[in-house]
Amino acid sequence: MYRQAAVAGVGESTYYLRGSSPHSAFQLACLAIRSAVEDAGLELRQIDGLVSYLEPLVVPPKLAAALGFEHLDFSAQTWGWGGNGVASAIAIADAAVTASYAKHVVVYRALRQTEKERFGRSAAVPRVRGDYAYTAPYGLVTAAQVGAMQTRRFMHEHRIGQEALAEVALASYAHAQHNPRALKRGKPLTRAMYHESRWIAEPFHVYDCCQENDGAAAVVVTTLERARDLRKRPVPIIAAAQGLDHRDGLGAFNEPRFPTAHYRRVGELLWQRAGVRASDIDVAQFYENFTGCVLMAIAELGFCEAGDVEGFVSNENIQWPTGRLPINTSGGNLAEAYVHGFENVNEAVRQVRGESTCQVDDVDLSLSVSAPGYAPGSAVLFCRH
Amino acid sequence: MTSRYMPENWALPALDDRNRAFFTSGRIALQECAKCGTVQHPPEEICHACQGLEFTIREVEGRGTIHSYIVVHHAANHALRYRVPYAVVLIALEDQPAVRIVGNLLNIASEQIQIGMPVRAVWEEIEVDGEILRLPQWEVIEGRHGN
Repeated sequence: MYRQAAVAGVGESTYYLRGSSPHSAFQLACLAIRSAVEDAGLELRQIDGLVSYLEPLVVPPKLAAALGFEHLDFSAQTWGWGGNGVASAIAIADAAVTASYAKHVVVYRALRQTEKERFGRSAAVPRVRGDYAYTAPYGLVTAAQVGAMQTRRFMHEHRIGQEALAEVALASYAHAQHNPRALKRGKPLTRAMYHESRWIAEPFHVYDCCQENDGAAAVVVTTLERARDLRKRPVPIIAAAQGLDHRDGLGAFNEPRFPTAHYRRVGELLWQRAGVRASDIDVAQFYENFTGCVLMAIAELGFCEAGDVEGFVSNENIQWPTGRLPINTSGGNLAEAYVHGFENVNEAVRQVRGESTCQVDDVDLSLSVSAPGYAPGSAVLFCRH
Repeated sequence: MTSRYMPENWALPALDDRNRAFFTSGRIALQECAKCGTVQHPPEEICHACQGLEFTIREVEGRGTIHSYIVVHHAANHALRYRVPYAVVLIALEDQPAVRIVGNLLNIASEQIQIGMPVRAVWEEIEVDGEILRLPQWEVIEGRHGN
């Protein structure tokens, strides 16, 4: 329900370079949850719900046992490929507390990226199935390559240049320089460095692609009424949305609206539910899996026409403190840490509280947008009152 | 054609009833709903227009245009170390503009690729595990590109 639930606490573990966490994903999740619960001024035993997304390892029954929850009355996770489910997970927690299925729901995500299975390394020729059979044999196997294919077409259709992609990376890196949690703090990015950096898959340079990190983050969601009695000022969830147009989740680039970030329907629902427009938003966090996909999400959510997106992000328009719409003010996936986008939710909440290290003045509406390019998309909007 | 654009030990489709025609017939063979005629690619388990469960094969001209493309420089795994940089193209079919097919472009260098170039299908014939695969690939139609 709209404006009836709120975030009462935010927390995270220390963020680490990939493979360098001394703790397991489960341990990192416990540390982040403890930190969020403490921030809310609650006791761990009072938490009675757990929600996540694409979380195969860190499961609620074990978390609840480890952390001393008296009861686990609600647990769920959202469908989707991954980062596109961040805001949907917040929406599930909102629904759970407003429908009284639980009182205090923690939403969390923990990552510890170790050596992955190396596809194609065996002597025998690997055989691939499903939609993957139509892409992998041609050498298209990674998320960056998928995002690059979408972005190339988007750039072509709307006459968007490489500078537009650079702007997104430059904003995240500029903001990370102020954030003590950010792994790219002390490593500023210049426009020249961006253009001279190696290609991953054209049109993506290395700086267009998110980091890979170890870490965990969490928030506590409860009713706005309950949150008012807790330690920190509550941050109301004005609205959240998950959405997808017919057949737009199809494989191998056969979505009817290709190239799409899957945010057209999300925008339609979000603005209608919240009763505000894109132009009313004070600060926004856009999940940067890849810079080009962020540009597509900006346009589909109605911040500008697709053809105007390069102008929208240029001239430090998306950079704190002078920009018209500062985005990714903690450094985001590119420069704070890749916690599967959850760090962007924490930052959106901190912007409403006045706790950001790139604090925008007088924030009333603070948006967090989940991963673009994977179906369905989702977004959550926080407000001051 | 015997040699592959991708390395010889690189991934290949596992054949099943839905994809066999596409990967073995040497034609652009698409899934068509037997009831309402809707063409779907990649093939689905059910027709998205009428929920029909029976399908036939629609063979179309192997002609199209480059709809999008990427040039891969970072080898996503060991087997591709010596293959990078390579290009992957997305082709929109002339006969079925809503159908897009992923492939490689065999007759021009990655730097020359442009969106909108007309292409025709060619086939890479690969014998693996006792089966003959015919993988659709693409060539820019000479004399018609560069505009």
